[in-house]
Amino acid sequence: MTVSNTTQAPPQQSGEAQKRSGASAVLRRLASQQYLLVVLLLLAVAVGAARPAFWGTGNVSNILFQASFVGLAACGMTLLIAGGLLDLSVGGVIAVSAIAVATVLPSTTIGVAVLLAVLIGAVLGLLNGLLVTYLRIAPFIATLGTLYLFLGVAFIWTSGGVVPITSSNYRAATTGSLGWLPVPFLVFLCLAALTHLLLRHTYFGRTLRAFGSNERAATLAGLPVARAKVTAFVFTGACFALAGVFMAGRLSSAEGNMAMGFEMSVIAAVVVGGTALRGGRGTLLGTVIGALLFAVLTNALNLLGVASYWQYVLTGAVLAAAVAVGARRASTAEVRGAG
Amino acid sequence: MSEATVSTQTLVAEERARSAELARRADSRRRLVQNAGVLIPFLLVLVIGLVAVPHFASASNVTNMLVNAGILAIVGFGMTVVIAIRGIDLSVGSATALTACITAATVNAAGPLAGSLLGVVVGAALGLVNGVLVSFLRVPGFIATLSTLTVFRGLVLLFTGGAPIMIASSSFKSMATATMLGVPVPFIAAVGIGAGAVFALERMRFGKHVVAVGGSPESAVDSGISVTRIRLLAYLISGASAGIAGVLLASQLGAVNASISRGLELQVIAIVVLGGTSMAGGRPRVVGTFIAALLLSMINSGLNLLNVPSFYQYVALGALLVFALTIDGAQRAAVRRMLEGRRS
Repeated sequence: MTVSNTTQAPPQQSGEAQKRSGASAVLRRLASQQYLLVVLLLLAVAVGAARPAFWGTGNVSNILFQASFVGLAACGMTLLIAGGLLDLSVGGVIAVSAIAVATVLPSTTIGVAVLLAVLIGAVLGLLNGLLVTYLRIAPFIATLGTLYLFLGVAFIWTSGGVVPITSSNYRAATTGSLGWLPVPFLVFLCLAALTHLLLRHTYFGRTLRAFGSNERAATLAGLPVARAKVTAFVFTGACFALAGVFMAGRLSSAEGNMAMGFEMSVIAAVVVGGTALRGGRGTLLGTVIGALLFAVLTNALNLLGVASYWQYVLTGAVLAAAVAVGARRASTAEVRGAG
Repeated sequence: MSEATVSTQTLVAEERARSAELARRADSRRRLVQNAGVLIPFLLVLVIGLVAVPHFASASNVTNMLVNAGILAIVGFGMTVVIAIRGIDLSVGSATALTACITAATVNAAGPLAGSLLGVVVGAALGLVNGVLVSFLRVPGFIATLSTLTVFRGLVLLFTGGAPIMIASSSFKSMATATMLGVPVPFIAAVGIGAGAVFALERMRFGKHVVAVGGSPESAVDSGISVTRIRLLAYLISGASAGIAGVLLASQLGAVNASISRGLELQVIAIVVLGGTSMAGGRPRVVGTFIAALLLSMINSGLNLLNVPSFYQYVALGALLVFALTIDGAQRAAVRRMLEGRRS
């Protein structure tokens, strides 16, 4: 029972009973995701009824914008959490890479600047990965330390000031839209699809899920655990940097505290989406819906005129509630498995 | 037959003696590493400070350092207990800010005594929220306290409306700066609370239970310890100590706002781990936490006196934390090697 819950139903099932349990697991998973989708739609309809402005094209694209910043970072975070890891240095990586873009943009092309940002994100991710893998520091503590390291670097780099982005081409490229879909949201969907493939259809993803559910077993089975861990951190750093690239475009500037406290929203989106914190299970569709859910929630609170301070309270409460419900569900599964 | 039994017994006895010897050596080595981990940086920073930093040993700077170290250490004692049960409390910064703001408002409305008492009670209540989340709702400690970090910070902002609160009572404001025999009151409070924590952890049943739960929660459950209760108490203690720190901070600053003690959790975790309390649980080291609090306070005030931009303090703190955790990891690896007999 626990096994079929923690590892995704393996494709090479042969027996009739196994096939049925696999199918029912898929159904159950779909049902639990649709449950989130239903919550999202209900929320949207309710807010739309109370404030018709909610469905205005400007507002919808605004929501998609907000969702894509969190979502881009959440793609990497899903991968890490599925491997039982975590990265709290989101705010630092975003700040450093965005400042890098803003600094080099006057003298190079947009493509080079973006590439540089992603590269810097990957290097910072590599640093996190090495700390966690080879110095064996617990991921959330190591990345809490590097969060402040990166923030310090960002503040020192800018001397605490704001670096403006004057290139209108850059702003147009990062905040434009194709039809009614904003560019960042399209990039977010592509990245989510890519991460899904990475997690579910590659050896790397399999290794990740294997050590996410049982690191010792994965090591004993001869899987390249250390390498996969570092790779996951590098990929995640690149994802964060990508979020920073679009955020800088949206703000037309970059500064040290542009993404302060962002890690909270990112983890919340991933966990509410249904990726288990204890590792071994990750769902990108859930992450996409989770990111949208929080964007809609924030937007609804703004439209309803609730003080922005409540958003702190609500995000934290929703995250704790989601994890508590998840813990409850997991423990009943264990009890049933034992019986 | 009997000979075989005897030889088996001697073999077992020898094996026991050998592993006891190994464990003893591992323990002494571990002690050496963990004491060196905090004492060497402490002495180093002290000497550098005395030699290279102007006005480092001036009376006002020493008082300032002792007040800061006292407040930091008080939060650290609570965190030491939580980390010793394999938990973590990331919400201490927000909890301190919330209690400081509530204390400030209450001092203005109902006097210093009521304000101080209410501050500690509010801190304990916030700790209780964390404890319930962790022990009854089974939310992992760092996620539970990461969410309450945001929630408490939101509550501070709601409570203050984003505006600073000035404290009118001068008797309350003089509490943190008053001295007894030349030693500031917060520092004396920290020594007192630290002594209480040492007593509770070394001499009381509660301390043994904390070590048992931190060492192995499963065995603690099997030996009839109420792990839920110990976890709840640990987070409660952490909240209450954050509350005491909040009261002292409000008194020290004289005016509080919603953004005070942001990032305090990192400093506190750094001093606890640097002091030798292992992230793996089961080994609280209150004295180490205390020394590390002095160390961090010296570093901060030294950097301030040298006119180093405050951004560099972030970097220093991050580097210090990574250093402390590396020592912690090396220490555990050393113990493992000793117990496994030097293989690999």
